Amino acid sequence: MNLPEDFVFTQGNLQDYVDCPRRFELKYLRRQRWPASEVDDMEAFERHLEQGALFHRLVQQSLLGLPPETLRPRIEDDEVARWYDAWLANGLADVPSQRWPELTLTAPLGKWLLLAKMDLVAIAPDGRALLLDWKTGRHMPRAVRQAQRLQTRVYRNVLAQAGARLNGGEAIDPERIEMRYWYAQHEGEVLRFPYDEEKYRADDRFLRGLAREIDRCEDFPLTDDERRCRFCVYRSLCGRGEKPGPLAEWEGDEDMALPTDALDIDELDEIAF
Amino acid sequence: MYLLVKQQRVARDNLDSKVFLEGLAGTGKTTAGIERVKHLLHAGVPPSRILVLVPQRATGLPWQEALRRSRAPGSAEVRVTTLGSLARELLELFWPLIAADTGCAQPLAPPRFPGLELSQFLMRRFVGDEIERRDYFRGVTISRNRLYTQIVDNLNKSALVGFPPEEIGTRLKAAWRGSSEQAFIYDDAQACASLFRAACLSHNLIDFSLLIDILRKQLWPLENARGYLTRRYRHVLVDNLEEDTPTLHDLLRDWLPLCDSALLIYDSEAGLRRFLGADPAQARSLQALCDLSVTLDRRRAMSEDVAALHHALAQTLGREAGPAPKRGVGRAALRWPARARWHPQMIDWTVGHVATLVHEEKVAAKEIVVVAPFMPDALRFALQARLDEHGVPHRSHRPSRALRDEPEVRALLTFARLAQHAPGLAPDRFDVAGALTTAIEAMDPIRARLLADALYRDGGLLPFENIRDARLQGRITFQLGERYDRLHSWLAQVPAELPLDLFFSSFFGEVMSQPGFGLHRRESAGATVANLVDSARAFRRLLTELDPAAPVAADYLRMVEEGVLANQYLRDWELDRSEGVLLAPAHTFLMSNRPVDYQFWLNVGSSGWGRRVYQPLTHPWVLSRHWDAGRKWLDADEEEAGAESLANVALGLLRRCRVRVYLGISEYGERGMEERGPLLLALHNMQRFLVPEDDDV
Repeated sequence: MNLPEDFVFTQGNLQDYVDCPRRFELKYLRRQRWPASEVDDMEAFERHLEQGALFHRLVQQSLLGLPPETLRPRIEDDEVARWYDAWLANGLADVPSQRWPELTLTAPLGKWLLLAKMDLVAIAPDGRALLLDWKTGRHMPRAVRQAQRLQTRVYRNVLAQAGARLNGGEAIDPERIEMRYWYAQHEGEVLRFPYDEEKYRADDRFLRGLAREIDRCEDFPLTDDERRCRFCVYRSLCGRGEKPGPLAEWEGDEDMALPTDALDIDELDEIAF
Repeated sequence: MYLLVKQQRVARDNLDSKVFLEGLAGTGKTTAGIERVKHLLHAGVPPSRILVLVPQRATGLPWQEALRRSRAPGSAEVRVTTLGSLARELLELFWPLIAADTGCAQPLAPPRFPGLELSQFLMRRFVGDEIERRDYFRGVTISRNRLYTQIVDNLNKSALVGFPPEEIGTRLKAAWRGSSEQAFIYDDAQACASLFRAACLSHNLIDFSLLIDILRKQLWPLENARGYLTRRYRHVLVDNLEEDTPTLHDLLRDWLPLCDSALLIYDSEAGLRRFLGADPAQARSLQALCDLSVTLDRRRAMSEDVAALHHALAQTLGREAGPAPKRGVGRAALRWPARARWHPQMIDWTVGHVATLVHEEKVAAKEIVVVAPFMPDALRFALQARLDEHGVPHRSHRPSRALRDEPEVRALLTFARLAQHAPGLAPDRFDVAGALTTAIEAMDPIRARLLADALYRDGGLLPFENIRDARLQGRITFQLGERYDRLHSWLAQVPAELPLDLFFSSFFGEVMSQPGFGLHRRESAGATVANLVDSARAFRRLLTELDPAAPVAADYLRMVEEGVLANQYLRDWELDRSEGVLLAPAHTFLMSNRPVDYQFWLNVGSSGWGRRVYQPLTHPWVLSRHWDAGRKWLDADEEEAGAESLANVALGLLRRCRVRVYLGISEYGERGMEERGPLLLALHNMQRFLVPEDDDV
């Protein structure tokens, strides 16, 4: 058995497994750090991730009640300012007023937990539940592809399983759940993914099967799709090439965490030694 | 889980009360706290309403692990964090509302957060020249980096304790009763602190001290920010309250009345982080705000024998020892060494016993810890090497060497210098040869030296074909020559303006970790280089914002050489899930709050047990809230502080030991000096309180 008792599944690590089991093994089981570049233009890539983080913070601040007239003049980046304007115009269109920004929910997945960190969950008085995710990437994927992404399957599943506390103690009926992706670079276009009982059951079976498979996996094979290796930091470790792929072709998840330069305030005792 | 009746009062009952829970370490306080969280969740409290506050990240790990393993609904969503992390979150979210009141010169611009490593750099940048120009700190014989650290430490204390930073020098001077030269040094420390703070404010740089200052003065009084915490977290649990600072205690004083429930966990006879501003007396004063007090007094970690040993040592150190355990033989929990004259003999004795425990007695390596008052690199390295020889797995939260001394890091720094083509940055021939040895697989130092001699000219490398001498080519071999050419050609093509962290990433990924090169499939090297990349990236991001025209790469390389950057690893307890024997300073182990079966105390004769770290520019007691203005710090105070520190550490270690303590003693210490420190004396004096082992107790 591969997984520790306290392992927590997320859409990110499940997507990694589906994309390349070896990447999952290196990243989450062996916790291997391998500081190669993801894409050819890392400066632009880093800038883009920073813009994404800034935009997400602006939205969070807005949802906390900080007024646009306070936030808008502080945005130095024109592109982020455009995204923010678009979000102000239609980001919350049709979004129920009972809202939980930056919400983390967990649900059991076999012996482990499945965790989803959602940009916004909103519940209407009639029990309709809307799950929103702000996307700042250049590409707006086809709906068919996005429907198959682990994020879409995991988030709706977790909300159906663990959303009762947002709904007065009543479990949220999958038929009442919709996941909506909002695309900042496409003037707020959206992709909508309603849910239903059948999809919920299918996702449940799929996710449980995936967790079992990962736990029992004896050999974590490399992906057959070598194009993925161009955007994977482990490519030299796996003998899958030298150069990273072009940023223009990168289709990864921009929600990935920025490398943090967080204040290492919890390490203060190092000072004395 | 089986809980004692008193634990149940905390964990299962009184879930809507504010409870003050105290007891010695190892009496099950944290266990009761974790169980309380589970019961809150089972009672229907949403996990997003529960907050667990700990003084440092390491203390929170047992909570996180236990909650992740728990089947309570949403237990993994419960937030376990520190005051500093909360403060940063508030600042980032509410900056637009408070920026104008913080004194920062650019309220419309975002705040910047330098970490500890970059604070050192900033200190050098903002006050280094002034120290030279004004000849500050004349007569103080500590390294410049430690000097900077203590100036930062003074600012942190002013923020955490809650006095104006302008009073640092006055307070220190008022307690000083020595020569006037030292008093001038406190003026210098004040001048540097003020200069640093002014520079931070002018650049929107929020170091830890300014962050806490802003939390106290702007964020907490702001209803939106305070409400963000107090409305969100209705159930607050604080572990190791006595290790936290007056700032947190002040916040709790306001927060507790607003909570639906609270649990304050107070470790009696601790206060290990006093030198970082911990204030056990302030912490205890919060007891008055609680509805209920519970004391746990039944040990859960210590065996009968260790408890007897603890009792005897507490008596010796003049601490409250309570009633003697009814059973238990203290001597049985203690192993004195055979006579060891020299320090290496002590290390051999230690490692021999560790190996016996692991290989013969089948003790899990993770149940053994080797501690010393300080764990300098030489001691750590000696232990690691000998444990490797005995096949004993081990782990350490600091490596045996600083980041900049790792061979792969030195090699990358050398190649970066070559790629920069900048005056004054050219590496010397010896470094180039060393870098080639590390970078190219199968390249031995002699061939690398031949290559460097032949092809390193005017600060740059030439292609392999420039070696005309066929005999020399043959000695180096064409296979190595071809690898060298790949490396050379990559360096020749890389743009000089590529930021250094991206240079490191690219060169690592495209050359050094490729087949035929030195870091191919070297997983530990990957982690080391990742640390370097993080350090260089953080530096670049900060410096380009501070001074867009600054030569970032050259400055970084210079700072590394001066030991300001890449000089230490930051510990990452979360990543460390290895199961080896832990090698750590005693204090670090104590704060991790995890009992083990066997402990080895090294350098028992060292005066480092029970002595304050030498900090000539700061003073944790004088800069606390309890120090009366104008009172002098006397020898008796020093002695009392030393005795308190010794008791806290030695008894704290015993409370986290289940089976036995081994004493590592040598007549002569690491520096060849005879050592008879206070711990050794106490252990000898303790003999009279210990019942002979063969007595029937």
